Amino acid sequence: MTTKRTNRTRLLLVSLLVTSLFLITLDLRGLSVVSSLRTAAQSALTPFQSLSTAILSPISNFLDNLSGLRSAQNRVAELERENQELRNTNILNENVVGELKQLKGVLDLAGRAKYKTISARVIGKGGTATIGETIIIDKGSASGISTDMTVISENGLVGVVKSVSNSASIIMLMSDPNFRLGVRVAGSQLMGILSGEGGDNFSLQMLSASSDLSVGDVLLSRGSSGDKPFVPGVPVGRVSFVENSLGQLTKKAKVEPYVDFNSLGVVSVVLESIAGDPGDALVPKAPRPAPTITVFVTPTPNE
Amino acid sequence: MNIARIPYILLTLSGFFILQEGFINRINFFIGGFSLYLVFVIAWTLQEEPSNAMLIGFFAGFIADFSPTLESPFGLWTLILTGFCYFLATTVRGNLDPQLSPLQMTLVTASSSAVLLLLFILIGAILGQELSSISILISEVIGNTLWSFVLAPIYIPLTIKFYQFSLTARER
Repeated sequence: MTTKRTNRTRLLLVSLLVTSLFLITLDLRGLSVVSSLRTAAQSALTPFQSLSTAILSPISNFLDNLSGLRSAQNRVAELERENQELRNTNILNENVVGELKQLKGVLDLAGRAKYKTISARVIGKGGTATIGETIIIDKGSASGISTDMTVISENGLVGVVKSVSNSASIIMLMSDPNFRLGVRVAGSQLMGILSGEGGDNFSLQMLSASSDLSVGDVLLSRGSSGDKPFVPGVPVGRVSFVENSLGQLTKKAKVEPYVDFNSLGVVSVVLESIAGDPGDALVPKAPRPAPTITVFVTPTPNE
Repeated sequence: MNIARIPYILLTLSGFFILQEGFINRINFFIGGFSLYLVFVIAWTLQEEPSNAMLIGFFAGFIADFSPTLESPFGLWTLILTGFCYFLATTVRGNLDPQLSPLQMTLVTASSSAVLLLLFILIGAILGQELSSISILISEVIGNTLWSFVLAPIYIPLTIKFYQFSLTARER
């Protein structure tokens, strides 16, 4: 009985295996029915696959995000670091561009006046609470700088060298309350004394009460004996207000400086004035007004 | 096998095949994949007599051959599962206690799934099927074995429930 059953099982096994091999043979011979069976199966499975996509996608995305969280955090940190470096580089580039512009301007000014100069970078600023309004430059006696030398920028007079070390110098700015400078009105020989009052306030006291001074007049440095502390002809500022008080011995005015003391990056120290007084050669050119465009419209009469 | 069982078995196998193709194949298992369908068939076969096991293997293989993602010849899974299920029911099942412990079931199912995949790769290669790189194949086999082992506490009780439900009152 058992043997008979075993034989039947073996016969069934052989039959099933032969059937399998028959199916494989059919497929390998390229019977189209077999491939169409799989295509039909795919069609039947499509709704289930769509359903699974709808159900599993949020979970799968969540798991993917979870597994990629650490690498994403690292990436964010890396990008932030890169961004900061780029910002720093950009700031540095902007500074360099600004300094180059200032350097070009100051060299241009010194060239026109035939001053022998040495350019320096502003490396620090002193406040009014220290020793007055000062800046520190990165050149000193090693570069030929000594005290009482004139310091200029692209727009005009900055101040005077107050003290010098081997590799740095302290410059007293024109805006310092202790600053006094002999000036001359460009185009004339009218003279006065300019005083710093802190910040952007300057007062001018003319030597003569009858001086013909008006708003907009350009002031130039008058120069000192041996060009120290001031070389002649450097633009200082423009008269912004004239006091017309009767009975005064001298005429007073307010002056607007050419130099913006808050944006000094590069300055030049005048070592020597080769050609002497440049006269009015350094007077800044007045900005040319923009041309006005006039449009004429001729109305067409209604017929 | 009682003829009355066949529709139920076919329906159950088809259900698990859809579950495998439609859902489980979409899950990213990190290492390899997991074939619930295979381990379900193996676990079921371990409960059956050799002749029944063989038939179940044949049906399961025939259904598995419908998988649209397969590039192997149609009938390959039928051949492998028929032969392997017979081998399981006679040799493996015969050498173990009639009542398999959960650990034995887990070990046999996990290792059998690995052997089945290796057989499929080997015979498929002999029949001219294009194979992936060795590293991918190894990771597939190892991953499948690993997940079969890890998820055994879920699918083995489930399979036993389905098996018991398929029995006629007399067989129970």
